Amino acid sequence: MTATNEVVRLGSAKGGWFRQFGWRHLVGLLALAFSLFPILFVISASLNPLGTLSSSTLIPPDTGLENFTKLFGTTSFSRWFLNTLLIGVLSAVLSMFISAAAAFAFSRHRFKGRRIGLVSLLLVQMFPQFLAIVALYLIFAEITDLYPAIGLNTAWGLILLYLGGALGVNTWLMKGFFDTIPKDLDESAKVDGATHSQIFFGIILPLVVPILAVTGLLGFINTVNEFLIASVFLTDDSSKTAAVGLYGLISGERNANFGVFSAGAVILAIPTVVLFQFLQRYIVGGLTSGAVKG
Amino acid sequence: MSDTTEISEERASHEPGHRRPRFGLSGGDGTVTTGRLVIRITVLGVAAALALWAAFPLVDQGNWIGLGILVAVTALLFYIYLSPRAIPAKYLIPGTLFLIAFQVVPVIYTVTTAFTNFGDGHRGTKQEAITAIQDASVRQVPGSTVYVLSIATTGDPASGDLVFLLTDPGTDAFFAGTAGGLRELPAGAVQADPAGKIQQAQGYTILTIGQAAARSPEIAAFKVPTQAGALYSQGLSRAFEGAPQQTYEAGCDCIRDAVSGRTWTADESDGSFVDQQGQRLAQGWKVNVGLRNFTDVVTDQEIRSSFLKMLLWNFVFAGGTVLITFALGLVVAITLNRPGMRGQRVYRSLIILPYAMPAVVMLLVWRDMFNTEFGLINRMTGLEVNWFGTPPTAQIAVLLVQLWLGYNYMFLVCTGALQSIPADLTEAASIDGARPLYAFRTVTFPLLLIALAPLLISSFAFNFNNFAGIYLVSGGGPFPPDNPNAGATDILITYTYRLAFGGAGAQYGFAAAVSVFIFVIVATVSIIGFRRTRSLEEIN
Amino acid sequence: MRLRTRRDTPGGTPGGRLPAVLLAGILLAVAACGQGGAGTGRAASQSEGGGTLTIWTDDKRAPALKAAADRFSKETGVTVRIQTVPGETRQVDFVTASQGGKAPDLVMGAHDWIGNLVRNGAIDPITMTEDQKAAFNALALKGVTFDGQIYGIPFALENVVLFRNTDLAPDAPESFEDLVAAGKRLKSEGKVSEVLAFPVGQNGDAYYGYPLYTAGGGYLFGQADDGDYDPGDLGLARPEAAEAMENFARYGEKGEGVLKRSIGTDNVASVFTGGKSAFLVGGPWFISEIQKAGIDYDISPVPGFGDTRAKPFVGVQALFVASKGPSKVLAQEFATNYFAQPDVALAFYRADPRPPALIAAFDQAKTTDEDLPKLLSAGEGGDIMPAIPAMNAVWDPWGKAIAAVVGGADPAGTTQSAAETIQSAIE
Repeated sequence: MTATNEVVRLGSAKGGWFRQFGWRHLVGLLALAFSLFPILFVISASLNPLGTLSSSTLIPPDTGLENFTKLFGTTSFSRWFLNTLLIGVLSAVLSMFISAAAAFAFSRHRFKGRRIGLVSLLLVQMFPQFLAIVALYLIFAEITDLYPAIGLNTAWGLILLYLGGALGVNTWLMKGFFDTIPKDLDESAKVDGATHSQIFFGIILPLVVPILAVTGLLGFINTVNEFLIASVFLTDDSSKTAAVGLYGLISGERNANFGVFSAGAVILAIPTVVLFQFLQRYIVGGLTSGAVKG
Repeated sequence: MSDTTEISEERASHEPGHRRPRFGLSGGDGTVTTGRLVIRITVLGVAAALALWAAFPLVDQGNWIGLGILVAVTALLFYIYLSPRAIPAKYLIPGTLFLIAFQVVPVIYTVTTAFTNFGDGHRGTKQEAITAIQDASVRQVPGSTVYVLSIATTGDPASGDLVFLLTDPGTDAFFAGTAGGLRELPAGAVQADPAGKIQQAQGYTILTIGQAAARSPEIAAFKVPTQAGALYSQGLSRAFEGAPQQTYEAGCDCIRDAVSGRTWTADESDGSFVDQQGQRLAQGWKVNVGLRNFTDVVTDQEIRSSFLKMLLWNFVFAGGTVLITFALGLVVAITLNRPGMRGQRVYRSLIILPYAMPAVVMLLVWRDMFNTEFGLINRMTGLEVNWFGTPPTAQIAVLLVQLWLGYNYMFLVCTGALQSIPADLTEAASIDGARPLYAFRTVTFPLLLIALAPLLISSFAFNFNNFAGIYLVSGGGPFPPDNPNAGATDILITYTYRLAFGGAGAQYGFAAAVSVFIFVIVATVSIIGFRRTRSLEEIN
Repeated sequence: MRLRTRRDTPGGTPGGRLPAVLLAGILLAVAACGQGGAGTGRAASQSEGGGTLTIWTDDKRAPALKAAADRFSKETGVTVRIQTVPGETRQVDFVTASQGGKAPDLVMGAHDWIGNLVRNGAIDPITMTEDQKAAFNALALKGVTFDGQIYGIPFALENVVLFRNTDLAPDAPESFEDLVAAGKRLKSEGKVSEVLAFPVGQNGDAYYGYPLYTAGGGYLFGQADDGDYDPGDLGLARPEAAEAMENFARYGEKGEGVLKRSIGTDNVASVFTGGKSAFLVGGPWFISEIQKAGIDYDISPVPGFGDTRAKPFVGVQALFVASKGPSKVLAQEFATNYFAQPDVALAFYRADPRPPALIAAFDQAKTTDEDLPKLLSAGEGGDIMPAIPAMNAVWDPWGKAIAAVVGGADPAGTTQSAAETIQSAIE
């Protein structure tokens, strides 16, 4: 809201461009600076062969790509990275779909237990997760005995586990958006003879593409950074995700491998940025006008 | 933007009007067309195949309860997807199954541990505890021989009776040890390598390491009885004479120490073996303790004295985090949400970067930046604030870190939400000559709230238990010198963690009990918040 | 018989699996309810080939372990899987995995885990011949001995020492007072900005604080005749503890300004490697960083006050045999005959330069590394870090007490509160 005030105050003095865009760039740059400066330390550490966690030196006395070569040369990082991509993309896509379906039911249908269902979804998320890890492990230990293909140390096991959280926050997020789409749309389609699945896939989903993209991206980021559960589940070097593998590098002796760790963290951020670039057109692309007519 | 046209064209074809011909295939009364039937059969076929795949190991292990559940779930799935009714269920069931499996069941399991003494030293059954006590007390008989061992059998390598073929390294005498006892072997019937390890013996098949590995649990449990105790294997090449010093006696339901004669009697209410002086053996077992953990929480002086203060800060922290991240995220989202603004994409991609970095390491970087003498913040501003040294500054610091970590998320969500607000509404408002602030307040913001209110509630719930956000930044500190348990930035969950895991071992039962209390608090608050959004929900 | 196994009681075991099963109604619960059957399916999977051996270790030592594992594989046909699990969570993960029937066969860790692992029935004692015992450093063997039994194969020792930058401080200080005087002189000459790099941190660190505490006359737990620590005798609760803690105030922020909370484990090494201080109190884990920074250094024991002796904690890194691993005999075989070898110990030393516990390996390594004898001798007067579970209750409150006293809090009152908190946690 400060931004809006600024318009009023600065408007006439600085002329059209500033009034229209200039102040926006100013806010954008400030936000950028705020976002980026702590990250610069990580980037700096990744380029510093001594690579220590210390904010006292932003520009390393000595730069080089040693940490990156070490990362790929002495660890299984490329394998971890691929695992992360696989697990991240699959669980993001699947959970996006699962939660969209559930949000559709919650938003468009009235049924017994709807409100209780919604509230329960929220409540389950509130239980501290670190306590449930023991239970999850015991469950998966058993699954491993029965079905090794989806048990501990497998990408599938972890994906299944992450899907357990798909309904939680995402359904709430999506339901909120589904609610902003006027009901008249689907009702008139119903009159035209559309079935529920046609309404879901044909009408609703295309209209909520921005939020699908957002939840997909959020799901991807969360999976990529998830560490608490993954580190208990993945102990085989070849099955690890990048987050698990990287934390192994700085466990115990934080300083010794911090540079290599930072190099990994920087690389790990790349897929997220690329994915965001790709999804941005869906998130903010031309769906603005006339999307909702009713 | 070039893709605008594409998308709007695509959108145009999705207008109900254009679509009608395609709908013509199916009857409005829900009758099924061939195409959809094929899809349905395929999906259910896959489900059936999966169920079949899942059934085999269950049958294999005779896990009939599991099989029953599997059949029931499969039947439920078939019913839901074949029946023309139960439409919401068709959309809810996939997510619900996963939710129950990987969230509800673990939570329920955890809550049930609140009624037990589950924790370090009390994890397994009583039988496991007895085994652990006995195994740990096996000591080598003083002055006894350590034999060179080969593992053999008189029958089939995979299943025949085990025999320990032993060499006394002192006398070079050979023995065969069976479950019946030790018998000397004539030197002529045996071939041994220079180290004394028997390589061949008449009438015995020596197991290869692979064969022995396959029978590992059996070999580990195999003993050759001797006068002073028994011969135990230690790996595959050595055996020693040992005896458990502490053994369980069913008659007195106690553990007796053969050397000292001390006894520890089972205490079923505590899951421990206790001697007369009240000393417990370390290895205990899991038992039900009823409401003991809950009464412990309520009557704990420590918890009582700090609880209210901590609860208050917990609310400030969770509520404050949501508020500031949302406010900043929204402002930035709105500012950048201007068609025609150059560099939009770059801004947006870089602003969300903090969200893409591993949170744990960024929390450490922030902690370092707040360092009194070496930290960037003090050096840049010329301050000499001991950020984590006084309560208010520590609280500001953790909130600032949360702002940095969280506003990107809110920015992203708000950006998405702004797109779904019909432009004609805002346009109408601005054409009316309304000032931007007014248009925002009357049109944009209420619509945004509809979409985001539930998210804000769940964000509150998440931050209420944001363990890493506190623990990795301030560790809960600063702590008053006279109370190292309750710090100024401690929230309930970090406090619980310290109480439950900071003692002489992890006390999961106690932690679960505290969590139940916390859960009730957050749940109540959230439900109240949720009720307030009810009016918002039905706006259209 | 009153004992009932899990399998016999589908309904009401303490874990309450029945409600879980009822509620589940899904694939997962299928698994949850089969918990009692653990073990039935496991043996079958490893009969083919020469069996498998799984070892948990840390990232740094995995490559060194691989050489020993390869030799074992070659000679026995057993497949060895080396898995790296982060040090902070390895002990907890190991106990959880043991409980779930998925324990590895061997796990590497610090000797102070032993108390907790034994209590959870997660590791087994190891029987060694007298010859085997004689091959190890006595202090290392003492570290892995718990309740009269040897629980692990030790491979390295570690303890806190004093590093000094020999360009700035050529001579090792005789006492803490000497050290402070030398540091202050350098500071007044403008050569350094800190008298000493000593890890305190915002919430304290009892591990590094221990040598100064003992130099001041304090003790942590009383020791029985056999060297076992007695959790019932907490030295922090004794009057001499407050006296010993006063040193932290004397040299703290309100005192001499030698110890400060703004230097903690995260940045202590960079203060030293950045040339901001001529002295560093730290462990051998800092050596590679110091060498990388190109600083000429020397190692001496952490000095005491006057002629008192500062006793650091001595830690022992060891390999443990899991009680519930699937291939226990293979694990024992590997641990006693393949792991406890000088060449393996040397590989570990090269991966991470700490004094090897095997005397033969140590003797060989010290010919090329003159740090080793200094590291070892700095630890010789030290105390074996207590392995009793009660120690877990000490770290956090005591660390905070040290930080508070360094920050200017009253030593007697603060120590008293910490002792009370610890005692009530130990119960």
